[in-house]
Formats: sequence, C-alpha cells, structure tokens
Amino acid sequence: MSTHLLEVRGLHTLYGASHILHGVDLCIEPGQAVSLMGRNGMGKTTTLKSLLGVVTPRSGEVSFKGQRLDALPTWQRMRRGIAYVPEGRGMFHNLTVREHLQMANRPNDRGETQWDYDRVLALFPRLGERLDNLGTQLSGGEQQMLAIGRALLTNPDLLILDEATEGLAPLIRKEIWDVIRLIKQSGISTLIVDKNIQVLKTLCDQHVVLVKGRVAFSGNSQQLLENMSEVESYLSV
Amino acid sequence: MDLAIFLVQLLNGLQYGLLLFLIASGLTLVFGVMGILNLAHGSMYMVGAYLAWYFFQGTESFLFSAVISAVIALMLGVLIERTLICRMYKRNHLDQVLLTIGMIFVFNALQSLLWGNDPLGVDVPDALSGSLHLTGVVEYPVYRIFVALFCVAIAAALYFVINRTRLGMLIRAGESNREMVECLGVDISRLYTIVFGAGVMLATIAGVVAAPMASIVPGMGEHVLISCFVVVVIGGMGSIKGALVGALLVGVVDTFASVVVPDVASMIVYILMAVILLIKPQGLFSN
Repeated sequence: MSTHLLEVRGLHTLYGASHILHGVDLCIEPGQAVSLMGRNGMGKTTTLKSLLGVVTPRSGEVSFKGQRLDALPTWQRMRRGIAYVPEGRGMFHNLTVREHLQMANRPNDRGETQWDYDRVLALFPRLGERLDNLGTQLSGGEQQMLAIGRALLTNPDLLILDEATEGLAPLIRKEIWDVIRLIKQSGISTLIVDKNIQVLKTLCDQHVVLVKGRVAFSGNSQQLLENMSEVESYLSV
Repeated sequence: MDLAIFLVQLLNGLQYGLLLFLIASGLTLVFGVMGILNLAHGSMYMVGAYLAWYFFQGTESFLFSAVISAVIALMLGVLIERTLICRMYKRNHLDQVLLTIGMIFVFNALQSLLWGNDPLGVDVPDALSGSLHLTGVVEYPVYRIFVALFCVAIAAALYFVINRTRLGMLIRAGESNREMVECLGVDISRLYTIVFGAGVMLATIAGVVAAPMASIVPGMGEHVLISCFVVVVIGGMGSIKGALVGALLVGVVDTFASVVVPDVASMIVYILMAVILLIKPQGLFSN
C-alpha cells in the first residue's frame, strides 16, 4: 500500500473545450508541506478543485490515505480528513464569526478533536473580539484567519490553502505565514498555493510548479535552490 | 366601519396572513436555500386539506388527522426531492417551472381520482369550537384564534431553528455558498432533502389547519400559490422574515379590501406588490 497521504496521478481537466490540466502529478507525505506555484491561469486552482471533486476531471487518479477518492462527492472527500481554504476565503454573508466556527466544528474521521473552538480563538485572538460580526464585515486579514480557523475546526490531516496571503498588508501576511508554520509544526500536512517563492522555499518540503497545466518542476527544497533560475523563469510574467 | 367590525376584520386579516406565512415560508426557504422554484407548493396545501378530511372521516380525531397528515407530507416531500427535484439543481428556472407545473397536474388528477371533485369539509374540533367574547358585542371563533397562535408558534420555532441551531447555520450557509459548505464536509444533498421535506410539511400543515375553516375544493392549491408568490415577492425571494412581513401585509390588506372596496378587492394586493417593487425592486428583505 502507498505511504503517501495524498497522491494525484495524471489529472486531466477540461472546462468545455479548453484543456486546462494535462496530466498533473502531485504527492504529499504525512506531515509534509508542499507548495504549488505557477503564474495566473496555469491551473493551480483547477488542480485543487479537481482533486477535491469540485470540478470533475476527464481522467486521472486521486488517492488519500491509500484510498481512491475519484468516485466520491466533495463532502465525502473532505470527511476523510481534507480541509480547504479557498481563494477569496469563502465567507458566508449571513453567518457571524462565531457561527462560521461553530458550523464547521467536528472531530476527524478517527473521532479525535485536536482543534476545538477555544484553541482556534487562542491562535487567532482577533477573531475572539469580533465573534458577533458577520464574516463579510471583517478585514481581509481577519477573513483569512477565520477561513483558516474554520478549516482547522474540521480537524484535518491535510490543509489546502489557495492564495492565503493574496491582497493582504505585509504585516498581516507575515502573521498568516507564522500561523501556517505553526500548523505545519502541529503535524498537519499542507498544500499551499502562493506566489511568494521566498517564503515557500523555506516553509515547504516539496515544490511543484505548473506551466500551462503541466508540471514543469517538481522537487524538494534543495532541488528548488539548485534550479532557482529555471523555476523563477516559470514564475515571472 | 365601526370599531367592532374593524377589530374582527383585523383579526381575520392577521389570521389569514399568518396562515399565508406558514405556506409561503416553505416556498421562500426552498427557493432561498436550494434555488428551486416550486410551483407545486400550493398543491401541498391542497394535499394537507384533503388528507385532513380523509383521516378525519376514518378517526373523528382532528389531532390524529393532523399528525398523520404531517408525517405523510414529510415522507412525500422527501420522496419528491429524491426522485424529481434533485435532478433540477443544475438546471435553469424554466426547467424547474415546467417540472413543478407538471406536478400540479399530477396532484390535481390524483385528488380528483381519490376524493372526487365535490366540495368537502372538516368539523372544527370540539375543544376548539365556540367563540370568544372580545368586547360586549364582538365574538370571534376560538378555532381561528388557535390557528393564528399555532402559526405564531411555528414561526417562532422556525426562527429558532434557522437562527439558533447548527442545522439553521448550515441552511443559511448553503444559501450563501453551496460549494463552500460541501468543502467543509457537509452532505448538501441531505441538507436539501431536509429543507424540501420541511417546506412541504409546512404547506401541508397549513392545509390541515385551514381545513375546518375553508371548503376543501379542487384548485385550492393554485389559488393559494398565487397569493404566496405575492407574499414572497413582496418580502424578498428567500427571506423568511420577508415572508412573515409580506404575509401579514397581504393578509390584512386583502381582508380589508374585500370589506371596504369589494369591487376591486381582487387587484388590491397586486397593486400593493407593484408599489413595493417600485420602491424596493428586490422586495422588502431581499438577501
């Protein structure tokens, strides 16, 4: 049996006639942080949505903890231990901060609860001050904290973050990166889509770069450093 | 209009409005959360009235008839959602309208086949018969007061579930962002089945409690459906609070119009709707 936590093989995804992903492969080991990089429109979010079942790939395999997910609907894939912080944060316009956290709170598929309401509020004290505000009334940084807190309350084994620091002020961005480091240290695997290669090269263990829906680079941090100019050329506009 | 008539008409209007709310709340909930336009919603009101009559004939117990009708309605709602409505989530409103109009014909044919086309009636339960003296000369039927209080209790229960429970949070979240709810590991299909079943049950219960006050006749579902759409449009599509305010407005205005200006009463609520839409095109409490 495979030891990978997440294994994606040969993912092909089309939007109508547009072929977006051309056989994407991706592996995450337990406890690892993996970055997924690429310029805008290269297929990063489509890769995430395909492996979560939000969009249906034309072909390819997705396995999580050694079990195939391909035939499962999105909610059942998440129940196996995946949490998702989407680009744009996915706030509910009619729920307060408290309700965002309460509605997501559940033990993992083994019945364990490592993250509860109090622990999330300890990690993000600012959310504690805004519990009765609507999620959409928060600042961008606070919304990101809420989206991450909500994801942690599902007690995942794998946390997927899509552009978690996009559009945030530098100080807030640093705060979010610090939290992601803490989450990694707590043993949760992470798949991080972002453009900040300077942070990702030290934070993540493995790196995948997409160019036009194909994996142009895949390797560990050492290999990333050795091929930095090539990778930077894939990322530059 | 003297004070006594005014008071009775006001009570009539409020009671009618609260009954409309019971039906319209299901319609607006199903539209707001699931994006489904269910034109067969009025048929569930009719089904409720006929079921109440049917079971009352056999048992002479209004309470038993009401409970068994509500249970059957819930099962019917779940069955309809799982077999028909679930195929409509990714389709447009026109397809939904075509399906649910077809369902109206099916329910009307079944009603005609099972119970005939003659007007039917259900007796007011003994415990709720009689009238209450409001003033020296004004009496008001106890059953109508019961219906109004019952509807208020249902509205309060609905408010509690939607605003104070985890199920309510999930329903509101589903209304806001279906994809994100699924990404939190929630089975949205089951949530939709619950919402649709509850919507059908609310309309059916309204039919049950209306049965002792109204003639049970073919076509009663379509008539009430049109009023409910006026309520939902006035209140704002998808808003429960809007449905309550809209229903009370329509109930009171319609009742007074039929007393004060009986010749044009049938168009007054539509004029009210047009005026409100001119001022607030999305309705009073649109999301």
